[in-house]
Amino acid sequence: MLFFLTLNKDYDVSFSPFQEKDKLDSRVISYLNVPLPLGIIEDVLERSLKRQLSNQGNPKKKPNEIKNQILNYLNNFEWDIQEIIWKEVNKDFCPDPSLELDQDRKNKNWDAFNQRVLGRQLSKGDLQVLARELRLKDEEIITFAQFNVEQGKAKWLPSVKQINRGWQCQRCGETDLEEWPSIYGSAATCGSCASIGVSTSLTVLYRDKRSLLEGPLNVSFRPHWVLTEAQQRASEQVDAFMKDTYTETALLWAACGAGKTEVCFPAAAWALNQGKSVLFAAPRQDVIHDIAPRLQRDFPDFTVQVLTGTNTVKFQAGGLVLATTHQVLRFWQAFDVIFMDEMDAFPYHGSRALEWGLKNALRQGGKLLYLTATPSQEGLNAVREGEMALIRLPARYHRNPLPVPIWIRSDILSEPNGCRGKWGKQISLLRRQGPVLVFVPKISLVNPWIESFKQTFPGWRIEGSYSSDSGRSIKIKNLKLGQYDIFVSTTILERGITLPGIQIVVLGADHPMFDERALVQMAGRVGRTRENPRGEVIFLSQKMTSAMKTAVQWIEEQNRYALDLGLID
Amino acid sequence: MKGLWRNAVRISQVLWYKDEQACVFCGEGHGPICLTCRMNYLRPELRRCTRCGKLIESGQLDCLDCLAGRGPKQLDQVTAWGHYSGGMKEFIQRIKFKSQPNLIREISRPFSDWAISQLPVVDGIVAVPMHMSRLAERGFNQAEVIASALHWELGLPILSGVERLESRSSQVLLSRQERLHNLTGAFNVRQPEDYQGKSVWLIDDVTTTGSTLEAVAEALRQCGTKEIYGLCLAAGLEKRLVPLSE
Repeated sequence: MLFFLTLNKDYDVSFSPFQEKDKLDSRVISYLNVPLPLGIIEDVLERSLKRQLSNQGNPKKKPNEIKNQILNYLNNFEWDIQEIIWKEVNKDFCPDPSLELDQDRKNKNWDAFNQRVLGRQLSKGDLQVLARELRLKDEEIITFAQFNVEQGKAKWLPSVKQINRGWQCQRCGETDLEEWPSIYGSAATCGSCASIGVSTSLTVLYRDKRSLLEGPLNVSFRPHWVLTEAQQRASEQVDAFMKDTYTETALLWAACGAGKTEVCFPAAAWALNQGKSVLFAAPRQDVIHDIAPRLQRDFPDFTVQVLTGTNTVKFQAGGLVLATTHQVLRFWQAFDVIFMDEMDAFPYHGSRALEWGLKNALRQGGKLLYLTATPSQEGLNAVREGEMALIRLPARYHRNPLPVPIWIRSDILSEPNGCRGKWGKQISLLRRQGPVLVFVPKISLVNPWIESFKQTFPGWRIEGSYSSDSGRSIKIKNLKLGQYDIFVSTTILERGITLPGIQIVVLGADHPMFDERALVQMAGRVGRTRENPRGEVIFLSQKMTSAMKTAVQWIEEQNRYALDLGLID
Repeated sequence: MKGLWRNAVRISQVLWYKDEQACVFCGEGHGPICLTCRMNYLRPELRRCTRCGKLIESGQLDCLDCLAGRGPKQLDQVTAWGHYSGGMKEFIQRIKFKSQPNLIREISRPFSDWAISQLPVVDGIVAVPMHMSRLAERGFNQAEVIASALHWELGLPILSGVERLESRSSQVLLSRQERLHNLTGAFNVRQPEDYQGKSVWLIDDVTTTGSTLEAVAEALRQCGTKEIYGLCLAAGLEKRLVPLSE
């Protein structure tokens, strides 16, 4: 998107996406005939500002001097574009632009637009999507956006800015960018957030500075559950953290299946009633789609914005947002409270861009609570160094301990050549307790193992899935309904899923793919429901790795701590 | 100590596999273009229609459209490296719409090698120009990016001075007939004498009907350009070659 440099009657230099008289600020007297990228305009503004400060003694000379100075500056670049000249705005024709926008303001589109852009930072592509959703023309959306910019409620900024000698993406913070020669000289493209739309030094972001909420709300919070003793304890600590003026971040370390999400609901209700906007974020959309109905059920009269890559409606309104960490990149200093679920999960964990985006989605003085059953090393370090408060939720609501994995040594695992020997028998024993979920470390092992199990257990219903499997969602639905005897999966089912009565086998638990966090999560699928609070977890591998040892230690420590607090029987 | 060892392993892997680049079209096979993608997109078994560059069965010289006189007439030959589909289409769109012109480097060698094996050596290369307003918005012309890769690899000089006068409606939504007429007179050569008696390669990213190439070629012919060869990264496939399921 390009902008026209403008000069108004107070000799201030500014810019606008439009050159039409009726769309320009009424004070504008001249504009440049050639639209330019915002990065270059910002350079010019910086220079003319300097000039103005040094020139205050002699205001009479200004207009032509400013114009010539800008032309000289721009002509220095020797771009291969048409000649740049100043054009005068026809003075006879001077409608007050605020009049027309007043009409717009009355109309629904203007309201709908404003509700949907609060706290957002949007590319031109995003604005075009919004235009389509509101059935408006691209130009109308840009007019709305520009009006907010002129009112000081929002601003335009280059998506990628030159900082010192390098570049930085303003949407995701990435500094390792691809530089290329443009007709305006060096330009740069960000690769880190390209999946949500192109971001270059020639594109812009519309950044809305307004809060998602105008003031305190009267939210009816009607939980459909009663917090257990363990949850109550954690919930009170979350509440205290919200009200504490000193601590900004905290870590809620919960046992797998302890109900950590619900623990945050009362705090979310409190925040909304205070007029504080709330974000529930998670790295993957499965988790978001799992939380959405629970949140909506307990906040029945309140619209929850649900934003994931696959959601068809990209723009929604409301002070309570549920979004994947990728979608969070479209917000800027928008939330007073952020609950970040699964902080240690892919793709958030290890992504500088997503971490930067999450931190910048938080308003000044806001609260950030990380939730996980398996904190990352950085998270634990921050707790140890006192940068982050720690809240623990060590027990499941049914007061049973977490199942501790059993290691069975086996060396036939690299090749799926049938379930011979004692562990083939193990599988049939497990099946008596419930359906068996078998984790394998590689996609290429899924189908061979399905075949192998089919040979060993004829008549059983056996299926499997992996990330790129097109039938994935149907199979997972069936799996939840308990329609398989054995289901073979990669780590896609490692987290965030509750399968009644499920028993777990990890094939090749010593594979480098499985770190302690993955192992704890996989083990954590067992015994999550009141009806089936117990079950078996079997690690099958040739050797015992330190990840396997740590996983078992974490689970045992969680159980010990819960027992000490009297939270399990 | 363990971490140190892991790092050592990683560094030695990086050194060892330095030359192992992933395929630019699928991201998986051996780079720059894996065997599967070569078969799927570059289609060496198919001919190119000499008039419009479309991929056609090996028995033919020209496609049906060109045989019926509905193709470009100002070009001596048009050819295209591959079929505009799948991973190759995505690759071109990343360059063009995701502002990643540097990607051209990944294929400049194999593309140039192929081009020089298909077309005669010429006096210079001309990129199909973009209209100023679109160029101003995108910041680069993908045809120029391709031309500069060819210049870099083959040493053929780049000829400039062709401009696009009007930004006509995008060709994408137009029918064949509309496309052929949409562009008449849309291009202009600033210094015609530069092209007098010259032979050139005319470069664009993608060609479908050849009408853009034709319109530029027309302007070039008027200044006395002697030989004009159209060269594109990708082209369409002759209709009768497209399986019914597509």
